[in-house]
Amino acid sequence: MTSRAARYIALYAASIATALIASVVLVQATGGDWQRVLSALVDGSILGPGRWGQTLGAAAPMLLVALGTIVSGRAGLVNIGQEGQLLMGTAFAVYFGFRIGGPGPFTLVVLLAFGAVGGAVWAMIAGGLRFWRGVPEVLTTLLLVTVATQAIAFGLKRQSLLLASEASRGNRNQVSSQLDPDSRLPVLRLFGNEIPSAVFIAVGLALVLGFLAARTVWGFRLTMVGRNTRAAQRFGISQSRYGMWAMAISGAFAGLAGAAMLAGGGFQFGNFRLVPGFSANIGWTGLLVALVAREKALAAIPVALVFGALRTGSGFVSSTGVEAQITEVIQGFLVLALLVPPAVVFLQDRRAARAVTKART
Amino acid sequence: MTGFGDAVIDAGVGALAPTPAVSLRGIEKRFGAVRACDSVDLDLHRGRIHGILGENGAGKSTLMKMLIGLVLPDGGRIEIDGVERRIHEPTHAARLGIGMVHQHFSLVDALTVWENVSLGEAGQLDARSIRNRVGEIGEHFGLEIDPDARVGELTAGLRQRVEIIKCLRRDPSIVIFDEPTSVLTPEESQQLFRAFRDVVAAEGRAVVLVSHKLDEILEATDDITIMRQGSVALRTLTSETDAPSLAHAMVGRPVSLRAEGAALGLTGVVADSRPDTSEDAVDTAEPPVLIVDGAVATVGRGARVLDELSVSVRSGEILGIAGVEGNGQRALGDLLSSLLPLQRGSVVVDGHLVSTSRPGAMARAGIGVIPEDRHDSGVVLDMSVAENLVMIDPGVCASRGVIDRKRLHDNALRLIDEFDIQCSGPDAPLWSLSGGNQQRVVLARELDQGPRVLVASQPTRGLDVGAIEYMSERLRSAAQSGVAVVLISSELEEILDLADRIAVMYRGRVIGEMKRSEVDIERLGLLMGGAAA
Repeated sequence: MTSRAARYIALYAASIATALIASVVLVQATGGDWQRVLSALVDGSILGPGRWGQTLGAAAPMLLVALGTIVSGRAGLVNIGQEGQLLMGTAFAVYFGFRIGGPGPFTLVVLLAFGAVGGAVWAMIAGGLRFWRGVPEVLTTLLLVTVATQAIAFGLKRQSLLLASEASRGNRNQVSSQLDPDSRLPVLRLFGNEIPSAVFIAVGLALVLGFLAARTVWGFRLTMVGRNTRAAQRFGISQSRYGMWAMAISGAFAGLAGAAMLAGGGFQFGNFRLVPGFSANIGWTGLLVALVAREKALAAIPVALVFGALRTGSGFVSSTGVEAQITEVIQGFLVLALLVPPAVVFLQDRRAARAVTKART
Repeated sequence: MTGFGDAVIDAGVGALAPTPAVSLRGIEKRFGAVRACDSVDLDLHRGRIHGILGENGAGKSTLMKMLIGLVLPDGGRIEIDGVERRIHEPTHAARLGIGMVHQHFSLVDALTVWENVSLGEAGQLDARSIRNRVGEIGEHFGLEIDPDARVGELTAGLRQRVEIIKCLRRDPSIVIFDEPTSVLTPEESQQLFRAFRDVVAAEGRAVVLVSHKLDEILEATDDITIMRQGSVALRTLTSETDAPSLAHAMVGRPVSLRAEGAALGLTGVVADSRPDTSEDAVDTAEPPVLIVDGAVATVGRGARVLDELSVSVRSGEILGIAGVEGNGQRALGDLLSSLLPLQRGSVVVDGHLVSTSRPGAMARAGIGVIPEDRHDSGVVLDMSVAENLVMIDPGVCASRGVIDRKRLHDNALRLIDEFDIQCSGPDAPLWSLSGGNQQRVVLARELDQGPRVLVASQPTRGLDVGAIEYMSERLRSAAQSGVAVVLISSELEEILDLADRIAVMYRGRVIGEMKRSEVDIERLGLLMGGAAA
């Protein structure tokens, strides 16, 4: 084992331990019992009947969103509007999926495809503003989340857009039609757990993306654009072209995640309907997954699992008398703990490199 | 030590003034495993100009940074006027009367001269008194300048005046000049050295001139300290030494001033020597490989960085682009790197018009570039050595878009060996390499593709003598193999050493050209200053 790997392991152990201690202190201080909270978390995410299938189902869209974020991040773009792209993708999926119709599996494919298109369109608005007008994408993607939320609320009030017909919505307001059982993603039943096939789609795409990024000319060029725009331009890679593609792919992943959540099974997001609040913060969480996985598609798989487990586990925490929101704070601690070691190593490396350069000048 | 005891190396310096203005004893500084300063002693005396000479990395800048509080020494004593001091920060150094004129400008382009001079002042500014002070200093030291001129519109020489005035405004008794002539024409350098004399002789200040050029050290100083690998290699009076012994001490081995004069900054020696390559090697009947015609380009709010620039280079020829920095050389390099689209004019390579707006068009047309700032467009620091070596076309190590790791690796091993790149292997991230080795990665990549044209912008900046020699050899042999070489450099010695033909750039255009064999240093100097030929 190299000293570098040892340094990483030591740093991770220390920072995760710190985060856990801080979490324990927090739970105790808010009147809880940390052992009960912990066992509730574990029960809710893994041990409870059918729970680990739920965890996988929650992790799948997070992973999809994270993969998209990794693509834009590699190209040097800061796309933080996945929540909005996810909603827009779902809206496209609902609008076109229900209108085009056709046999069940065909509708499912149309649904997923338009989910990706919707997310891509929404992200490309920000991309276009960035490359034609120089507006920072970090602002536009974020602001477009608000626009998307409002646009969906608007669409859900009009039958011509997203609202379901009176017959199928009963007395509910602001819901879309429900997806027919035969256009839903198939579910694999295993040891009493329901594993939605979105999990396999997400993991498959992670493997594909990992390969594309690390082993192909496309990935090479994408990394070049992200790390040194001017060098890339000298060698024939247009930042605006690669950047627009990266934004489109990034949004497409978020939109696909939304469509998969709609057609999902396993962890339920809206009972196969688009409803206000449908995105359930999956966009934001996926962003965190990408952040922690540090632009590595394969690393995003286990990270998404951890965040999925926190999501399903937190549902059980409220039974211990502690507010469920406390898990979000714990989640925050964990994110920080996972981000600190790479940052420390980077700073140490840079200091060492600087010392060498300084001595030379 | 009193009197004449240490006359052997201190050659009388110790006997001069009673108390030196600055006395450094046993100064130590380490950065990690690197010893930047190893028990360095140095005395600076009032009324004298002290030259500190050394190659890049010899520790001279670190030593000076300790004197002005930018770096803290690990050991040793610093005495100012006989009192021991610990200098924690630049403001402390300023209170002790120590000022430094830095190599790189720290000026704000959008502000006027007097505003720049007053940067860093606390409290309310009195515009009128600062303006007056700028005028006074200008008159006093022969550094006249309009206090209301915008810095962005000044020439490099005038900007440096602003830097000097900024330093002198605090009336320092000890003034350090770090490589001050790199942005000046020969004539401006002369002027600057006269100003040194005035400052020193008239007012009893101690002046330090840090440089890697033998010429100017011999010309402008009274005492010389030579540093090599963090230690003092020689201490002497300027009047008692000559170029060969200085060069020997600086490099640590006897050097041929004729062959290595350019690297040591000896304009005289280089100018008198006949170039090895004769112009007969260049077939003037053949059409030029590279033709830039009437190039006009603007940046920002319409400032012309290239203004009707026209140059052409033939196969096997080295064209030297001389000129004071900031006269459009960078823009020319950018143009030939597909980083600057033209508004008017054209670039033709081998008879084919090359698009100036399409990314990568220049590289595809066969123009290799060693950029002025390799971190800007030459390398991607976060990618590996192997990856950096195939950036022109990663496709050469790929089939159907999938990169073949083994081919990538083998290609890197071959070039690492051929160009003697010091690194831990093909997978080492580029940032882990030293500057000189990063430069070799760029050189290896650009030469390996078999370019028709090779553009080298300031290719030896920041390299030591050995590395400079290596780079010069590579450029020469590239030309000999038929590449058309464009050497853009603000170091006249380098141009004189390598070029077959010299073009001088001034304000974005070529204002004069001459063959190397008919070179006239005086006329070159005038052209660099913008005097029409």
